[in-house]
Amino acid sequence: MRTVEEQGGARAWRLRAAATPYALLVPALVALAAVSIYPIFYGVRASFHKYRYGIDMGSAGKQNYVDVFHDPVFWQAMKTTAKYVVVAVPIETLLGLGLALLVARELRYANWIRVTLILPMTIAPVVVGVIWRLLYASDIGVVNPLFEKLGLGTPNVLANENTAFLGVVAVDVWEWTPLLFLIILAGLTSLPQDPLEAAQVDGASRLQAFFHHTLPLLKPVLLVAITLRTIDAVGTFDQIFVLTAGGPGTSTQLISIYAYNTAFLFTQYGQAMAMLVVLLACLLVLMWAAVRFMRRTSQATT
Amino acid sequence: MGGGAFHAAHVTGNHMSPARRRVAAVAVYGTLGLAMVIALFPFWWMIVTSLKQPVDIFAGVALWPQHITLHNYGRLIHEYHFDSYLINSIVIVTASVAFSLVIGTLAAYALARFRLRFGVDRLSLYAVLLVRMLPGILLVVPLYIVLAKWGLLNTRLGLILIYTCLNTSFVIWMMQSFLEDIPRDIEEAAMVDGDSRLSALRRVVIPLAAPGLIATAIFAVIATYNEFIIALTLTSTPSAQTVPVGVSTLIGKIQIEWGPMAAAGVVGALPIVLFALLVQRHFVRGLTLGAVK
Amino acid sequence: MSETTVTAADPFERPLTRREVLKRGAVGAAIVFGSTIAFAPKRVWAAENANSITMGSFQDNAMAPIRDYFNGLFTKETGIKVNYNETNYNTWYQNAKNDGLNKTGAYDIYVMDDNWVPEFAAGKIIQSLDALGFKRNPDILEKGVEQGLWPPKHGAKMKAFAKQKPELYAIVNIDDVEILYYNKKYFPKAPQTWDDIYRVAKAKSVPGKLYGWSARGVKGNPIVQTYLPLMSAYGANFVNPDWSPGFAGHAGVAALVRLFSFIPYMPSGVAAFDTDQETQALLQGKCTALTEYTGLVHQIDNPSASKVIHQIDTAATPKQERSGPAIGTFICGIASGSKNPAGAVHYLEWFTSSRIQKQFARRGGSAAVTASALHDPVAVKKYRWLPAIADAVNNSVPKPRTPDEPKMEDILGTALNEALLEAISKKSGYQAIAQKHLNSAAKQITTYLKQQGGYF
Repeated sequence: MRTVEEQGGARAWRLRAAATPYALLVPALVALAAVSIYPIFYGVRASFHKYRYGIDMGSAGKQNYVDVFHDPVFWQAMKTTAKYVVVAVPIETLLGLGLALLVARELRYANWIRVTLILPMTIAPVVVGVIWRLLYASDIGVVNPLFEKLGLGTPNVLANENTAFLGVVAVDVWEWTPLLFLIILAGLTSLPQDPLEAAQVDGASRLQAFFHHTLPLLKPVLLVAITLRTIDAVGTFDQIFVLTAGGPGTSTQLISIYAYNTAFLFTQYGQAMAMLVVLLACLLVLMWAAVRFMRRTSQATT
Repeated sequence: MGGGAFHAAHVTGNHMSPARRRVAAVAVYGTLGLAMVIALFPFWWMIVTSLKQPVDIFAGVALWPQHITLHNYGRLIHEYHFDSYLINSIVIVTASVAFSLVIGTLAAYALARFRLRFGVDRLSLYAVLLVRMLPGILLVVPLYIVLAKWGLLNTRLGLILIYTCLNTSFVIWMMQSFLEDIPRDIEEAAMVDGDSRLSALRRVVIPLAAPGLIATAIFAVIATYNEFIIALTLTSTPSAQTVPVGVSTLIGKIQIEWGPMAAAGVVGALPIVLFALLVQRHFVRGLTLGAVK
Repeated sequence: MSETTVTAADPFERPLTRREVLKRGAVGAAIVFGSTIAFAPKRVWAAENANSITMGSFQDNAMAPIRDYFNGLFTKETGIKVNYNETNYNTWYQNAKNDGLNKTGAYDIYVMDDNWVPEFAAGKIIQSLDALGFKRNPDILEKGVEQGLWPPKHGAKMKAFAKQKPELYAIVNIDDVEILYYNKKYFPKAPQTWDDIYRVAKAKSVPGKLYGWSARGVKGNPIVQTYLPLMSAYGANFVNPDWSPGFAGHAGVAALVRLFSFIPYMPSGVAAFDTDQETQALLQGKCTALTEYTGLVHQIDNPSASKVIHQIDTAATPKQERSGPAIGTFICGIASGSKNPAGAVHYLEWFTSSRIQKQFARRGGSAAVTASALHDPVAVKKYRWLPAIADAVNNSVPKPRTPDEPKMEDILGTALNEALLEAISKKSGYQAIAQKHLNSAAKQITTYLKQQGGYF
């Protein structure tokens, strides 16, 4: 026979059991909101305010957006950022794919090779900037002497608008090809082996096997990798801050650098936030497109 | 993962003659060797520069230091407070990674094991993705305001709080999939034996998920140790500044001191490289899972 | 190494036992905390008690005597400890501004570039020294003192502040100005005009071996510092009294064309040069002359930094239409959130006193701020450039006094850098290149000032 208390206890127990997962989630959700929802709300609000000497002077309507849209330097920074991503990410993907194909086999010292190849992506981007500044420096570096030995003159990479852009892209490639390599390698090792063996038995050439079997199977992994890298590349800041701070001219001034300068050097928080809201909108569109694309391809393959 | 056989068939395929196989091997190892040189040489140049005297730095290319000196490293400690930066980094990384592992694993467990109502699961997932996507520059001004209100600007605690929040995002992401791989029966058995949900989690699930925790921790340590823009903005003296900020202080607008700057780069990279060697076998796996999951 | 593939003996296939996890965790934690305790710094950073002040600065050679000697001397004489911290220029500008705007109180004294004063004073990032009862030493050169006034005493004034009485917000601690450094091997006597420099550059320079001129070409503040002494010497203003940009006229263009005329005789990477690379050319004996701030005097006779000791001499920056050295003083303000303003006032009064300034000048010939120190016979005998500094300060031309100056400087500095890059690649048509980029900068500055309001 159950007493009334026992019944009540059971209900409380069941309630507690039902509440447990939500209780477990609360700290994490608070933490996540603190670094996502709150900053976005704050940023959007600040983008409609006027700041003078760093002090909030009240609402500015849409003036910050008007100013930003009429600012040629902003558009140039957006263009430079787009160019940066469009040049760097495909190179990184191709090199990463090539290296992954080379490493995805029985190799001596496989673990050492992999650790070495991914070392560039593990160290701080600030240190990457330092390293390449030392290599590029026109008087103490090795890039100038190397080009001179090859009879290509002295490029002074960071001192010239065209070469500086290529120079920072090269740094990005050096640093982040390992990421693509790593993701693609993981994708390759988890592929089912049957189709390939079958293809080889069928006498298809290795190239055909790669294009007809491996690549389609790798497509989802490649998509994820490219999306992740693109999002990160759009926000690139640290290495550029160290290498060129956006110069020479405005040739390497990515949007993150310009927004940073606008906020912290010229103390125009409102305008800086307007720029970042525009950037965020672009990122969300990009993300949405990537997710849709992924869904479509996964539907197509299944 | 268990695809080793595929590669064996793919490359050392039985159709190849021994001579062709040897040529292929030379090509493969040659290309990989070149890639490794490209990956490593820049580090070498930094190390060499950091061991040179100022006069030698400007005396033309020398791939080996002519007169080895530790002078630049001494200056890092005596003039540039690198002892403080290193300690700050160690304390901040350890604390925030530990906190985020706890918070994130609990949340991941809830997401992996329960059916949640009110779309909470999907909301959590979006929040995780959003945090992963936001560029750091967007966070700094709002976070600055909050820390200023709480009096936590320029403190280790302020950075620990923020990094904990940021790390929670990918701890959830990674741990959720690890926990999903652990069969429910085991913990249900423990609960039948009288364990509560939480003690079953602690006694049974966590030990089974240890490899996942290690992989996650490796990823979190690297990401936290390397973070720059938030630390740059929210700290202003060596009492709270981290190693990457310390490295950047050497890149003067007014003047660059190449020797100490190279030494600072070495010191900045060293903890992660040592860490990589220490957990060598887990390292690649941890990074891979962090990147893919 | 016996391990050969990813899959062989992967440690992840084997779950760790609970004991192993605990053991490894404990070892890790022990290492971390052990090392933390073992290497814990003994310094105290924040101004936690009345007996210490915290001072921040950008990194610069000119600050070295203060950092290495005078702060310790102050502690010895007064018992007040000085915590000193330096970082790079832009980071410090941002840190100081944030610290003051939010009254964080991490710092008591900001060492600033003089063009920060209007913004820091208008934004209440620093406190009025007059209000804090700071006693000004009348021996300090007037031009230096004026850099610390807000609103400014002379020149263009913003409308909102035009009627306010100037108050002292910051006090100069190093009277830094640009002077000319030249190698005596190539100049038998100090060159007087920019034409003199050009003649020697043309006659003596050997590509790759000896340069006739070296400059800071990096965009922003550095190239502006290169351009300003030229611009002033050719008779142009950064802004006119009505806030219209004054550098895009005939004189400003002529000054930039003069800079371009040095291109064949400058190092090829000059557009990416900052102080360090610019001055290395001189210190390695590969350059005949350059203009630079006074921080360089500490290096020219130092054998570990220079290959040409006792060969470099100094003079006022060259004239053309007129003389116009650029002033760029180091100037100290007290943080709005300072936890020890009394200690900070004490420090600033002490450091700018005639007695300490005399010692400052005698230690390596630093750019002291008092007339008596710059003309002190003992110091001058050893460091002959000191009277030249006094002279240069008295004739100097300040930058526009407005909180928006850093942005104006950024616009001009970007345009100058782009102009230099174009001139280097085209090697001719200098007049048109200079005019085009200066016009563009003038237009952008006017637009920006209109956007900000309070000028026209």
